[in-house]
Amino acid sequence: MISAVAGALDGVRVLDLSWGIAGSLGVLLLAEQGADVIKVEPPGGDPFRGYDGYAVWNRSRRSVTIDLKNPDGLEAFRKLAADTDVIVETFRPGVMDRLGIGFDAMHELNERLVYCSCPAYPDGHRLAQRAGYDALVQAASGQQWEQPGWRLGPIFLHMPMPSMAAMFLVPTGIITALIAREATGRGQHVRTSLLQGAFLYTTQIWTHATKAPGDFWTTMSKSYPAGSHQQMVFEVSDGWVHPSMMSGLTAVKSQDELLGVDADVDARTFGTLPSEQRDVITRMREQAYRSAKRDELVATFQENNHAVEPIVAMGDQLGGSGNPHPQLVANGMVVDIEDPDFGHTTQVGLPIHLASTPGAVLGPRPRPGQHNDEIFGELGYSPDAIAAFSTSGARA
Amino acid sequence: MNALEGVTLIDFGQYLAGPFGPMIIGDLGADVIKVEPLTGDGMRFVNQPFIGCQRGKRDIALDIKHERGKEIAMKLIEKADIVHHNMTVGTAARLGIAYEDAKLVNPDIVYCNTYAYGLEGPLAKFGGLDPLFQASAGLEYESGPVDEGNPPMYYRFGMCDTANAMLSVIGCLAALYHQRKTGEGQELWTSLLDGGALFASDVFLVDGATHPYPKLDKHQTGLGACYRLYETGDGWLQLAAVTEAQWRGLCDALHMPELADDPRFADVPARNINRAELEALLGERFKDKTAITWMRLLTDAGVPSELPVDTKGGDLAFFDADNERLGLVAEYEHPILGTMRQFGSLIDFSETPSRARSAPPMVGEHTQEILEWLGYSADEMDALKRDRAVYWPDEAYSWTI
Repeated sequence: MISAVAGALDGVRVLDLSWGIAGSLGVLLLAEQGADVIKVEPPGGDPFRGYDGYAVWNRSRRSVTIDLKNPDGLEAFRKLAADTDVIVETFRPGVMDRLGIGFDAMHELNERLVYCSCPAYPDGHRLAQRAGYDALVQAASGQQWEQPGWRLGPIFLHMPMPSMAAMFLVPTGIITALIAREATGRGQHVRTSLLQGAFLYTTQIWTHATKAPGDFWTTMSKSYPAGSHQQMVFEVSDGWVHPSMMSGLTAVKSQDELLGVDADVDARTFGTLPSEQRDVITRMREQAYRSAKRDELVATFQENNHAVEPIVAMGDQLGGSGNPHPQLVANGMVVDIEDPDFGHTTQVGLPIHLASTPGAVLGPRPRPGQHNDEIFGELGYSPDAIAAFSTSGARA
Repeated sequence: MNALEGVTLIDFGQYLAGPFGPMIIGDLGADVIKVEPLTGDGMRFVNQPFIGCQRGKRDIALDIKHERGKEIAMKLIEKADIVHHNMTVGTAARLGIAYEDAKLVNPDIVYCNTYAYGLEGPLAKFGGLDPLFQASAGLEYESGPVDEGNPPMYYRFGMCDTANAMLSVIGCLAALYHQRKTGEGQELWTSLLDGGALFASDVFLVDGATHPYPKLDKHQTGLGACYRLYETGDGWLQLAAVTEAQWRGLCDALHMPELADDPRFADVPARNINRAELEALLGERFKDKTAITWMRLLTDAGVPSELPVDTKGGDLAFFDADNERLGLVAEYEHPILGTMRQFGSLIDFSETPSRARSAPPMVGEHTQEILEWLGYSADEMDALKRDRAVYWPDEAYSWTI
């Protein structure tokens, strides 16, 4: 799968053995910047294939199936790995070693190999052998307790937060090790986890400081009702909107002026006011918003240099009910892809914009083993030999 | 050595989506120099979010609009491998430090601008904060969830900011790798809008209509009877009975074997259709025992579950023995805040370790050592400070951090 468009990672080959969100989406960010990614699946395919989003996160790569418990399958995998730059896997610590394809064995085979592991919990952690579904890590990491919701207690995060953070750490670690390899000539073991992903999003809310005064935490503290940003969520006559406290532009008329609210408070300092004072102003604004129409209010605010977004359902950003988000279209982030299973789809595109090496969507999610003959053929295997180690239950 | 040792990054950013990415690149070993206005980073006044994206940096306080300050900025760019900031479209050009300006003194530079919306297009001129993009991507709508009659809910993690920053990290590293291979630098950009969009990338359209996806319930407990929080006799338990074997194990552990053979709950689609009935049955049973008791019984039956932990604002995670031993916690001394802990290494490297070099800097904390590095004498520095082109901390230090 070679693109006509230059990518920054052209020439980098990745074997993607990952299951789940963090691996497949993390690898997508490498694939669409030019890396040649081969998804290595068990016969019949990655068991998470039915998962929502998998059609998106597994595009732009080729697929082979290998029964790694078959000695010939293992040998075929080793041949692939000998000539590859990166391996990505997301199994519990120890699983890859037991299959004979852990970091030590692979590094011995290929000294330049960058080997990335992203289990749920780090090797050596007391939870390392526990199941790693995203919601379990939300619970164990403390993230569910951090979110104020409509009742007390932990709140289930609809967005799979730990996975949606680890998916950034996977490509970050891999490219960093590729850069280091330019200096050292050697690959290395890069390890992250969903737990470390969960920590990524604590940057604004978790600090321990022995001498910080009590008001150090005020703005971002967990509170009921939830803090300043939640209070900027407003119901309008036909939906909801979220205006921003700042837009970087000079306002023509203020938000309060446009709403007909006599509050006379600078939006930027609103969050620092005592809560009673905030509440009074918020009540006045709520009343004014309730009589507005969503799209008219958004247009009027934007004309007056206020940043505001309608609060829409997932899918609406791509045009699921009406037009797609106009700026998302301008960013090239709304892409049409013919998927072998779903047909005509519209998906989120490439979110990293490099001027000289822009990268590209390289094609839809492959079917399991779609490229067996092509890839193993290059290694000299006959179709019969390929079938023997790439289908379920076959034994050499 | 650290992986990015020898890489210099000049960080002209403020607030979050600018500075967070350079901090992560600094953790990987780069020397990150924060260029801060003499009035301080605009986010210092909100304390914690500021302190969450600055550790490990050296800080020079510089007035770029001052002729001598601009001169120093260009000398920094000349020495840099990466320039990074989150100014709104056109601002860097007005200041004379856009990619075109940088390229003149440093032709192979990697130059990254993180935006709110994007480089060009109908809303490109707007700056804006994280909540806008929790709205545009559908995150606030689903977390309410609005379809169940609740208001939209803002996630207090502010993760669209972090997403924009992390996309910029990946982009800068990819561009740096390309530069090491070919000798060619380039400019790149990312945005909060695209970062938010990626969080909703599991949802796609088929023939223009949104493909169905799992929904949160009104009480914000989860996505279905087998993947949600339950209230037990003494608190909450997160259940994840995802496979068929786990479902059968769940029925055993709860001593409700009749459910396993009930046609209403025969498979995943049936359990989704009859979600409310199943949730009522399980919810009632979970009240009979404490959370830890249920977790042990479920573990014995091969069913994943976890106790939701209240870390008390992070402290219990930062003083957790496993997290400490595995390097997930960083500790440093701050001149005002005392002994600080924040998250530590998020990525471990077997040969080139990550690091958290030092506490978040004060305004201009390293101005003198950076000017010395650029070749300025002590007398010249004093003159620059008197002239209000630069600043370093003195008795008049007016910030709380």
